[in-house]
Amino acid sequence: MSAITCAWEGLVGLQGEVAQLRRGNLDALSQLIARYQNRLYRYLLRLVRNPAEAEDLFQQTWLRVAEKISSFDPRRNFDSWLFTVARNLALDHLRRIRPHSLDEPFASDSGSETPADRLLSREMLPLDRILESERSGRLAAALLELPVVYREVVSLRFEEEMKLEEIAQVLGAPLSTVKSRLRRSLEQLRLSLESRGGPGEWS
Amino acid sequence: MNTRDLHRQFRDLFPLASAAALDPRQERLLDQHLRSCPSCAAEWDAWRALADGLRRIPTPQPSPRLVERTRRLAEARLSEAAEHRWNRSVLILLLVFSWVLTLLSWPLVRFASGGLLGMMDVHFARGWYAFALFMTLTWLGGGAAAALLSLQHRRARRFA
Repeated sequence: MSAITCAWEGLVGLQGEVAQLRRGNLDALSQLIARYQNRLYRYLLRLVRNPAEAEDLFQQTWLRVAEKISSFDPRRNFDSWLFTVARNLALDHLRRIRPHSLDEPFASDSGSETPADRLLSREMLPLDRILESERSGRLAAALLELPVVYREVVSLRFEEEMKLEEIAQVLGAPLSTVKSRLRRSLEQLRLSLESRGGPGEWS
Repeated sequence: MNTRDLHRQFRDLFPLASAAALDPRQERLLDQHLRSCPSCAAEWDAWRALADGLRRIPTPQPSPRLVERTRRLAEARLSEAAEHRWNRSVLILLLVFSWVLTLLSWPLVRFASGGLLGMMDVHFARGWYAFALFMTLTWLGGGAAAALLSLQHRRARRFA
C-alpha cells in the first residue's frame, strides 16, 4: 500500500515538476536534474563507456531539455522523452568519434579499468561484500563489452526498470525488436560470463 | 515433439523470462514445466541469478561539481529560451498591431481629408495602392532587419 502511495506521489510530483518546467520555472529544473541525475548518468555511461564523455553528454542532455521542453507533449512519458534525448545525443557522439562502436563489441583490453571497477575501488569494503562486489564488477565489465544496441536495452530494462513499451519508445523500435534484442543481449552476456569465469554462479 | 525439444523450447524462454518479458500464458506454461523438471529448474536458477546480478550492479554517480555546473548552464539556457519566446511573441504582436494600425489609418486619412462619406468609399484610389505598397515595403524591410539582427545575436551568443 505504502509503495503504491509513494509511486503515485512520485508520479504526481514528477508531472508537477515537468509542468512547472514547461512554464520556465528554474526550481523545477533543479528538482528534475536531482531526480534523474544518477539514472541518466548511469545510462549514458553504459552507452559511451567513458566517464568524461558521459559527463559531457549529461550536460548536453539537460541543455537540450531546457531548449526543447516547451515542445514536449505532456501526455507523453517524461522518462521516455528524456532518455530518448540522451540516447540520440549519445549515438550521434558515438557515430562521430567511433563509427565502428555502434556495431561491434568494445576491443578487449582486460588490463584497463572499467567505470564499474573504478567505482568499486573508491572505498574499502568489508570482507563479506567483496565477493559480491567482484561478482558485480565482472557482470558490469561483461555488460560493457556488449555492442551498444544490446547494452542499452539491458540497462534500460534492468537498471532503469523501464517497461518494454517504454524501451520501445526510447529506441524508436517495435516491441518485437526490443524483445529480440533483450533476448540476444542476455544470451550473449551469459556466454561472455561463462567464458570469463568458467563454471560458477551464472552457469 | 520429443522430450529434448520440449526442454529446449522452454529453455529458449529463459532469457526473456529473466527480464520479466514473457506474456502471461508463456509464464504460466514455464512455471508449470519448472515445477516438474529439476534440470530446467536448475538452469532457470542460473538465469535468475544473472538477472538479479544485473539489477544490483552499483550505480555510478555523477560528481556534485558536474551536477552543479549542468544546473547552472541549463538554467541559463532555459532563461534564454524563455526570453527568445517572449521576444518572438512581442514581435509578432507588434507586427499585427502595426498592420491593423496601418489599415485603420487609411480611412482616418480619408475622413480627415474627404469628409465622413469618404470613409465609405469602396473605390480604391491610386493613392491607396501607393500607400499600401510603401507600408508593405517598410514592414518587410523592418521584418528582414529584425530577423537578421536576431540571427546575428544568436550566432554571437553561440560563440560566446
